[in-house]
Amino acid sequence: MVEMEQLQKEAKEILKQGKVKFVIGYSKGSQNLTATPVFIKKPEHTSRLIWDPTCVQNLVKFIVDDKQKQSREKKPDERPVGIVVKGCDSRAINVLIQEKFIDRDDVYILGLSCEELGVVDEKKIAQKLEGKKIEKIEFAKKNNLIVSTKDGEKKIPVKDVLADRCLECKAHFPVIYDQLFGEETEREVKEPYKSIKKTESQSPKKRWDFWKEQLEKCIRCYACRSICPMCYCDECVADSINMAVTAETTAEEKAQKIKWIERSPALSENIGYHLIRAIHLAGRCIDCGECERACPVDIPLRLLNKKLEKAAHELFDYDVGFDHKKPSLISSFKDEDPEDFIR
Amino acid sequence: MNENIYLPKLAKIIKIKQEVSGSRPIKTFRTQFLESSDFSHRSGQCAMLSVLGKGEAMISISSSPLEKDYLQFSILKSGRVTTALHEMEEGDIIGIRGPYGNHFPIEKWKGKNILFIGGGIGLAPIWSVLQTARAKKADYGKLALIYGARTSNDWVFKEELQELKNEMDIHLSIDCEEEGCNEFVGFVPQNVADKKPSPKNSISITCGPPIMIKFVIEALQELGFKDEQIYTTVENKMKCGIGKCGRCNIGKHYVCKDGPVYSWAELKTLPQEY
Amino acid sequence: MEKILTKKEFPSWIKNLKSFNVYGPVKKDALWEYERIQDPDKLDLNFKNTVLSPKKIIFPQREVILDFNHKKKGKPEIQEALPEETKNVIFGVRPCDARALTLTDKVFEEEPGDKYYLRRRHQTVTVGLTCSDPPSENCFCTSLGGSPHSTEGLDILMTELNHKYYVHSFTDKGRELMKAASDVFKNPSEKDKKDLKQVHKESEKKIKRQVKELSKITDKLKGMFDSPFWDEESMSCLKCGICTYLCPTCHCFDISDEVLSSSPLKGQRVRTWDTCQFPYFTMHSSGHNPRPDKSSRLRQRILHKFSYFVDNYDDYQCTGCGRCISKCPVDIDIIEVLEKVKDYE
Repeated sequence: MVEMEQLQKEAKEILKQGKVKFVIGYSKGSQNLTATPVFIKKPEHTSRLIWDPTCVQNLVKFIVDDKQKQSREKKPDERPVGIVVKGCDSRAINVLIQEKFIDRDDVYILGLSCEELGVVDEKKIAQKLEGKKIEKIEFAKKNNLIVSTKDGEKKIPVKDVLADRCLECKAHFPVIYDQLFGEETEREVKEPYKSIKKTESQSPKKRWDFWKEQLEKCIRCYACRSICPMCYCDECVADSINMAVTAETTAEEKAQKIKWIERSPALSENIGYHLIRAIHLAGRCIDCGECERACPVDIPLRLLNKKLEKAAHELFDYDVGFDHKKPSLISSFKDEDPEDFIR
Repeated sequence: MNENIYLPKLAKIIKIKQEVSGSRPIKTFRTQFLESSDFSHRSGQCAMLSVLGKGEAMISISSSPLEKDYLQFSILKSGRVTTALHEMEEGDIIGIRGPYGNHFPIEKWKGKNILFIGGGIGLAPIWSVLQTARAKKADYGKLALIYGARTSNDWVFKEELQELKNEMDIHLSIDCEEEGCNEFVGFVPQNVADKKPSPKNSISITCGPPIMIKFVIEALQELGFKDEQIYTTVENKMKCGIGKCGRCNIGKHYVCKDGPVYSWAELKTLPQEY
Repeated sequence: MEKILTKKEFPSWIKNLKSFNVYGPVKKDALWEYERIQDPDKLDLNFKNTVLSPKKIIFPQREVILDFNHKKKGKPEIQEALPEETKNVIFGVRPCDARALTLTDKVFEEEPGDKYYLRRRHQTVTVGLTCSDPPSENCFCTSLGGSPHSTEGLDILMTELNHKYYVHSFTDKGRELMKAASDVFKNPSEKDKKDLKQVHKESEKKIKRQVKELSKITDKLKGMFDSPFWDEESMSCLKCGICTYLCPTCHCFDISDEVLSSSPLKGQRVRTWDTCQFPYFTMHSSGHNPRPDKSSRLRQRILHKFSYFVDNYDDYQCTGCGRCISKCPVDIDIIEVLEKVKDYE
């Protein structure tokens, strides 16, 4: 069991000692629904920290944010950031260290084990309520959610509404941390790639039709990119007009920047954007599922990433984010690589 | 409302002059509409120039409204559209829509001295009003120009400036010493402080890099210029030119329609968002 | 014109609108969106809030402004590409989304007017639906001067009364639409009129969320441009475009030229939605950016809606639909932000 008081105590301690500049964690959301990210600078505010299955966000994106912000500062604050992570989120930290985007010392990791649970999927909760609006969600004893609607309270076992990512999670406890809360209990995952089973069994034509229909919906709000801890490039192929421009960038460089993807939310451009993003996440996506959760039009983006995760596992015996000392998939080479061209 | 505001009118480039060479080149383009046009601007206004296939860029009109034969634009090569413009030749055709924005209240300045202060490409937006004042010299008091750039190569309108020397006080400057150049060495605000123009019955118009504008205004205030006597032009990223696309605002003001010309008395009340 | 239409007869009305393109809320998987429909049965008036408001029909995310063919030498061809002249009707417009159209009207009608928007607006009839039950947890229309049965921006308002609709038209466009199938409408009884009043009254009570003393907030915002408040409030912002792209009142756009690499001189100039939340929205070509961080961009969103727009158009640029709250992945809640402004020292 993760004791919330212990987490708060440790956060308070590291803030008091000045070990970290601030702690990123979860607090109650504005409407008492799912949790919201919170940034705590003062030891006396650590009682705001919570931990329960409504803590859906992957907070590692804010490490990326801080790193980018510090890089623009004349006098960067190089103290580590304290961060609360779940198992999946911790793997994102490993990838960032592996790719040398951050150093191990940049973060002080407060790791939380999901133990036998994980986080909830709001869409699954909504389904259970058959259209009734949620007024409040509370996490109660015995791993139940108490969901209030206008018709009163309803008890829903967390297990019934766990996010798919949690059902297929390969390590539901942090694989890197400074302090661990909860147990590193093993949990058998029978079908780690269950969600892609259906699309995999379909004919290419059917799959193509499926993805065309899904990607047609995209409004290019770039929430998937914005929320992804692996999307940290200063310059992105999705942006036709921007690049990391400085006073030294010449007019020619700016003018020659290729518009790979137009801003129009046309199917061709949407497919271009999402496929480029998926490919760039191959061997990097740690399956926090945040892209899919953030998507306002419900594109099942996780399926794309999961498929590539499976390919990395099967072809190269590579699982993402478990060891930051290992070379990353795309920067490593093996003699037994199945492709001829690389040898 | 019959006009489609987004449709550019075609214009031929009748003359191109390389003002500045090197890594930050500036060219001056003179254009004539292919068909008769009711395009009529006032000093300080801008126009949206189109290179079809590349896009549009908002550029200040550097010719005086008194010049009826052509529209003139002096353009620093900076991004996608301006690079395409720099690659064009005389006889090529571009699109123009506008004019946009407010203008210098030059009618109100009759009888006053006008001091023009520019830095680098910042002379272009005030060149139009300078030419108008010069053409109607009798209406105004003393005209003077303080202008500087990094090097003497970076001055725009070099020949015109030489000619103008016979008509008004011209104080040029360069940032660092250069062999064979006897002009003031130092930044434009330092030149202003050095020349000590009198605020009496005067208006000052300044345009250049934001940092230069800031220090020029400080220098002018030091000399006793009141906020109402100082005018400047502001630029922000623009797309529509008519206050609808939402990006060029400084607080509640859209620079494309409420600007680009502001007195310091007005501008200082707006948030620092430019 | 005030009439009664039974739910059973509703499809007959739509079937009679042969000269119109009919749009309405359609359910796809777990979400509703306004789509063009051929079959009246597809239309689902028992819907929760759509992801996008009907703004997307009047001000589409992509609008072709002109087609061009630029010759290397010689005169380029430019062809104006105005929207097709059609007659459109949108059913199931939420009163907040209709009010939002009156706000985008202010921007696009202001001289010089925007032909593309105005043509689409004028050729579209808006048929509203009273929100007898708020379609979202985060509805707060009543705080912005609206209501679940507001008629602003609508040609017709329908209100559900058990097995029938009370249909009220206020404009010529609306009356014409009802006349297209006059035999399906009946005259309302006194009881119907009484019931209507009751439903409208009840609907207002069901709006749970609210912002109090907005004018006080607007006044306070004027002095808060340089406040550290924006840094604090924007800490968790991800810099995505959800809040603005889903907003029924946001009108910002980009204009760009689209060509194929195989024919770089021939293409289309298009207008696409843009958002103040993206860094390159305001970036100059020099790289200088007047709104360089998420704190200045959150400030812009709030000030535009609750200060600048009030100064320029004498109205709040928000109708309380709650979409930006419901869909924000990190729970940035515009109501909370405004309430905090009020209490900010």
